[in-house]
Amino acid sequence: MYQKIYLAGNLGRDPELRYTPNGTSVSSFSVATNEQWTDQSGQLQRRTTWWQVKVWGKQAERVSELLSKGSQVFIEGRMDPDPATGGPRVWTGSDGRARASFEIVAQRVRFIGRRASAASFGEPRDEDIPPEAFLDAAY
Amino acid sequence: MYQKIVLVGNLGREPEMRYTPDGTPVTSFSIATNEKWAGREGEQQERTTWWRITAWRRLAETCNQYLSKGSQVLVEGRMNPDPETGGPRVFTRNDGTAGASYEVTALTVKFLGGRGEGAAFGAPRDEDVPPEGEMDEDAIPF
Repeated sequence: MYQKIYLAGNLGRDPELRYTPNGTSVSSFSVATNEQWTDQSGQLQRRTTWWQVKVWGKQAERVSELLSKGSQVFIEGRMDPDPATGGPRVWTGSDGRARASFEIVAQRVRFIGRRASAASFGEPRDEDIPPEAFLDAAY
Repeated sequence: MYQKIVLVGNLGREPEMRYTPDGTPVTSFSIATNEKWAGREGEQQERTTWWRITAWRRLAETCNQYLSKGSQVLVEGRMNPDPETGGPRVFTRNDGTAGASYEVTALTVKFLGGRGEGAAFGAPRDEDVPPEGEMDEDAIPF
């Protein structure tokens, strides 16, 4: 009985670092994954999925230090559902409409792009890529 | 730019196979993944996540043929979001409240066994394993 999610995408906003009452750090950020494919009629299709990611513990601080809006990351984690339903948490937005999101708890975050360089996203040249930063969460 | 979901869980209901207007078979089923861990004070914690799985074409037919409620499966697939929001599709339940679900398009489904055969997971004997259903990711029409 197992669930695992792998994402490679870009941060949609800067990470937000907060602390629980007992001092545990947690960093939250959103990641967009874009997919492209050709449908049966030969048309190029695109789809963006948004993920709300949380990183706990000491790695939360490193994430907040190293990542910013536009950073490209590889994330290994698992879905964090509403315990009451086993599905996405649903809430009411300020416009009165029901909303839900894909909430992920990251077990591992790997920085795969150039820092704060959304423009280089996609096809960075090899020489643009800094040594990888491993951010193995103490999970 | 990539997303992949790997699940091992049990079917919560019988698979349902339908056909699109052009005759393409589509099978849907839900699976539950249970996770257990020890809390801070050593107490056992448990969480269940429900996933709605959709399989297409040949994979739809093998899923419909071999799976039933309680079957244990490994599903590899992609999250299928609401294209307008990039998040889960939100719908209205019969009681008028809003609900949302994790909708996964299956790329691979491996059949691991039935209810009560959980212990066999990971090392099923060859003769227990029906033919695998696999499918080319690029063939999916959305």
